[in-house]
Amino acid sequence: MPAVQDTIDRVRKIDVDQYKYGFQTEIAVDKAPKGLSEDIIRFISAKKDEPSWMLEWRLEAYRRWLTLEEPTWARVNYPKIDFQDIYYYAAPKSTPGPTSLSDVDPEILKVYEKLGIPLKEQEILAGVQKTDVSELEEASDNVYKSGRVAVDAVFDSVSVVTTFKKELAQAGVIFCSISEAIREHPELVQKYLGSVVPTSDNFYATLNSAVFTDGSFVFVPKGVRCPMELSTYFRMNEKNTGQFERTLIIAEEGAYVSYLEGCTAPQRDENQLHAAVVELVALDDAEIKYSTVQNWYPGDAEGKGGIYNFVTKRGDCRGDRSKISWTQVETGSAITWKYPSCILRGDDSQGEFYSIAVSNGYQQVDSGTKMIHLGKNTSSRIISKGIAAGFSQNTYRGQVSAHRKATNARNFTNCDSLLIGDQCGAHTVPYMEAKNSTAQFEHEATTSKISEDQKFYVMQRGIPEEEAIALIVNGFVKDVIQQLPMEFAVEAQKLIGISLEGSVG
Amino acid sequence: MLEIKNLHARIVDDGTEIIRGLNLTVKAGEVAAIMGPNGSGKSTLSYILAGREDYEVTEGDILYNGRSILEMDPAERATSGIFLAFQYPMEIPGVATMEFLKVAMNEQRKARGEEPLKIPEFLKRVKEAAASLNMDMAMLKRPLNVGFSGGEKKRAEILQMKLLEPRLCVLDETDSGLDIDALKIVSDGVNALRSPDRAFLVITHYQRLLEHIVPDSVHVLYKGQVIKSGDKSLALDLEANGYAGVIGEAA
Amino acid sequence: MNMHPQPQRTPAETALIDAFGDRLSLLPGDGAVMLKRDDAIEAIKHGLPTRRIESWHYTDLRRLLNAVPDFDPTAVAKPIAPIVEGSAVLSILNGNSGTKLPAVEGVTVQRLTEKLTDGSIAPGLDTYGSDDAIGALNTAFVADGYFVDIADGAQLEKPIELQNLQAGGQAHVRLPVRVGAGAKAVIVERQAGEGAALTSSVSQLVLGEGAEVTWLIVQEQPETATHLAQFKAHIGKNAKLTLFVMNAGGRLVRQEIMVKATGEGADFKLRGINLLAGDTHTDVTMVLDHAVPHTTSTEVIRNVVTGKARGVFQGRINVHQYAQKTNAKMACNTLLLSDDGEFATKPELEIFADDVVCGHGATVTEIDHDHLFYLMARGVDEKSARGLLVKAFVAEVIEELDDEAIVEALEARLDEWFVTHG
Repeated sequence: MPAVQDTIDRVRKIDVDQYKYGFQTEIAVDKAPKGLSEDIIRFISAKKDEPSWMLEWRLEAYRRWLTLEEPTWARVNYPKIDFQDIYYYAAPKSTPGPTSLSDVDPEILKVYEKLGIPLKEQEILAGVQKTDVSELEEASDNVYKSGRVAVDAVFDSVSVVTTFKKELAQAGVIFCSISEAIREHPELVQKYLGSVVPTSDNFYATLNSAVFTDGSFVFVPKGVRCPMELSTYFRMNEKNTGQFERTLIIAEEGAYVSYLEGCTAPQRDENQLHAAVVELVALDDAEIKYSTVQNWYPGDAEGKGGIYNFVTKRGDCRGDRSKISWTQVETGSAITWKYPSCILRGDDSQGEFYSIAVSNGYQQVDSGTKMIHLGKNTSSRIISKGIAAGFSQNTYRGQVSAHRKATNARNFTNCDSLLIGDQCGAHTVPYMEAKNSTAQFEHEATTSKISEDQKFYVMQRGIPEEEAIALIVNGFVKDVIQQLPMEFAVEAQKLIGISLEGSVG
Repeated sequence: MLEIKNLHARIVDDGTEIIRGLNLTVKAGEVAAIMGPNGSGKSTLSYILAGREDYEVTEGDILYNGRSILEMDPAERATSGIFLAFQYPMEIPGVATMEFLKVAMNEQRKARGEEPLKIPEFLKRVKEAAASLNMDMAMLKRPLNVGFSGGEKKRAEILQMKLLEPRLCVLDETDSGLDIDALKIVSDGVNALRSPDRAFLVITHYQRLLEHIVPDSVHVLYKGQVIKSGDKSLALDLEANGYAGVIGEAA
Repeated sequence: MNMHPQPQRTPAETALIDAFGDRLSLLPGDGAVMLKRDDAIEAIKHGLPTRRIESWHYTDLRRLLNAVPDFDPTAVAKPIAPIVEGSAVLSILNGNSGTKLPAVEGVTVQRLTEKLTDGSIAPGLDTYGSDDAIGALNTAFVADGYFVDIADGAQLEKPIELQNLQAGGQAHVRLPVRVGAGAKAVIVERQAGEGAALTSSVSQLVLGEGAEVTWLIVQEQPETATHLAQFKAHIGKNAKLTLFVMNAGGRLVRQEIMVKATGEGADFKLRGINLLAGDTHTDVTMVLDHAVPHTTSTEVIRNVVTGKARGVFQGRINVHQYAQKTNAKMACNTLLLSDDGEFATKPELEIFADDVVCGHGATVTEIDHDHLFYLMARGVDEKSARGLLVKAFVAEVIEELDDEAIVEALEARLDEWFVTHG
């Protein structure tokens, strides 16, 4: 049909260079020599002034890593990575560690300003300007309102500033960089670090354990509801540098925290490696909500450059009635390999995974989740929306398993894929494993294109084709968008529109 | 306002010719009824007017306010004032009806060089229009047409028509699936919109609708052509005697 | 077939490699066939697949195939009555075809040993990939079977039943069937026997333009047997294939189904029931390729798991780039009736064309408590009520076949399973 042909033609002319965050900033940096060895790990550990147990932990992981092979089961293709051709540590010279806002290099502050990340507490206190859309949402009975957001800003390998620390401390919440936590709260770090993602977990997680440079640490004590949203913003700036952040969030009994993560990187021809590890621990009756808007540089129209995003994220519902909820909007990166998972260990615990993955150009996404039901009466819910355009490949890979003792385990999975153009691929690979007769699993998946009938209907109301498609796509992902805090939801919707620009006719 | 000249059109996919030399003129302020048996090309005509790409015009022209619209895409036609009330309005999951109305109304305004509506003004207009059609605002918070009953969908179409203020309204079998009360409400909604600078093309299979929306002219469509035109008495004649007589006359 | 050479061979691997050496002089085949056999045994020398090979993730053949019986020339299998009365029966007893072949109009039958000897089926012996362990095992050892050719336009009134029966030892058979343009046939593939045999069986079906075939695989091996089977089909233009698979036996069973819709208008239906009991492992793995535009498929699999049985269903639907307007739907529903049993499902969609409608659904559940309550409220005791509901759950799939003689025959097999396992 002509409409389809038209769409395809436009996809051919695709321009992924719509990436708005591709600028680079000239900042004096302190770098480790290129390559990876025990000496480099000692260098990183010394730079961070770490205790000896931490160094030993890293070295053990490194020795383990030397025996591992890169996984090949994901549906992604890329040239072999030379792990000796990467800088494992790069920090802005002027900022040796987290400081007050007034000490941060003004150039770095400019970067965050340009990215639209509020680092000045007074600005944030003034309240986020309500947008047109949010008012309308209110009119539509969507009453989610979020207040202030505390930010940990990680620039290349180090955290440059963390806002609202004092106010959070009054509530008993610890929010700081992981480097600081290792120095200031070693007992907590030692107790929980590696307890969800062990150093031996997988190739990239093991590498991260050896070389991680910074990341965020959150501790919400018993009975505390964190008074504001917490967020970390990652920015990769330096060339040939890998980013290996490590995030650890602990919610004690009855605690609640909502955490947001965002990221961007400059446009470059070379691929850059990002191998993060995120560990969440929820004790009895605790709830952790973890949202990500992933917008690393995706590469150019020919598929040159872009971030390799090889990430291990896992939450442990360790306590009874605990709940962990992952929400992700994935629009960036050349390659994404990421499966935020829940171990439902506590009785009556709940896991959720809400995902939107948009791929365009030559992006490759292999993402999904694992819901491991171990405790009694555990339940999980998976909603995944994949949108493939251009020449991209978009795979959902998810595992749901109920172990022998997981009586009354419940899962509902829905994964839908949308294809735009005929040069891309959408793939669905669910694994369902039931070892308990009382388990109830329900899985449904569909793949289709945007309905011509829907598009015609919307256009008949005067809405131009590209907007009509963006509208329908945003409708398609609504179930997931609704899970995001308001500010992120609006951003995410815009981002999806930008990511698909030029791909739709 | 609308002038269809010797129109021939076929289905792109398989080449079947549906419209075979159709001529029709509708003046500003006129309500023209198109009637005809099943398969005569009534719905196809509405799709072609709105610019659906599944059909290809092979001959003839469609002039709207004196200009050919054949090269315009559906959105351009809509912003120039052509509105189609669908026989089967599409369900669009996840897109809130309110959000959709706002985007559509602002596209109309943009085409006219006007500023986007302020939210309070927008809400006011929607509330008024909904009240006149006896529609519950709660319905408008739901995704567009999703889970609406047949009658609710038709009402939502008329609501959109009211809010978008088109110049040429094409109503495709708007009466189908409506009970008598809903038919009354919908017809009142349409009648309220009648004005000297607005034209209506009312496509229907039965005379029933025309008791409520009284037409200025009636045209019988058969095998892709207008085979007979007349005033509202033609519709009554068809109701009493069926299409066979008219078809026989034309043949 | 394993990318990492295994440090040490398992006893089963060693037994297979040794048996090949012993059997070589007895295996029929011209030069081309013997070359294929050599390639196949080389693949086995690289090691049987483990769970690290994605397509064998839930059936670690290297671990599960813990013993390989010797070839047993003295084993005597007895022919059995066909499931549909009046069928033309072609039996393979302990791996050997018969010499007396029934005459059916429009059907040509040849013993496979002849086709191996003259090399005319050599091209069909290729394996399809490095993880094709069943294909390799069969190609290495296949000694007999039947080649069936159904002429263009032939309309068979009665089914052809291909029986593969063992009484121990090993049997490796192949059943290539060609169905001509416009022909219509019902083919029954019976897999049964006694003892602790190792069977590999490969069926290869080619459907000509407009042909219509219903193929029933009825697998009722004893709970001591290892049954490794493949069903491969190409569906031509406007041809229709309905494949029904019933697994109701075997200790270690893997039934692979590889179907390719190669002509526009091709339609494929898969209906399967897996009745799993005892300490057994049953794996049904399907790969369906929609290779051209305008093809359709539906797959419905129903599983009942009792005892310590482990079941697997993997179903992958590939929609190729130019296969626009594909319509494919797959469903896999499991009743897990025992806490010692388990079932793993992996329904995959691999889609490279945009103008398609594809979907899959999968459920694992208990018996519906409302239904159970309803029946009990009508005075049916719980055990009978459960039995009725479980049977209805699988019988639904059989009833869809819409051919009275076949439905009756399959329901009889179903009843028999429930009598022994209910």
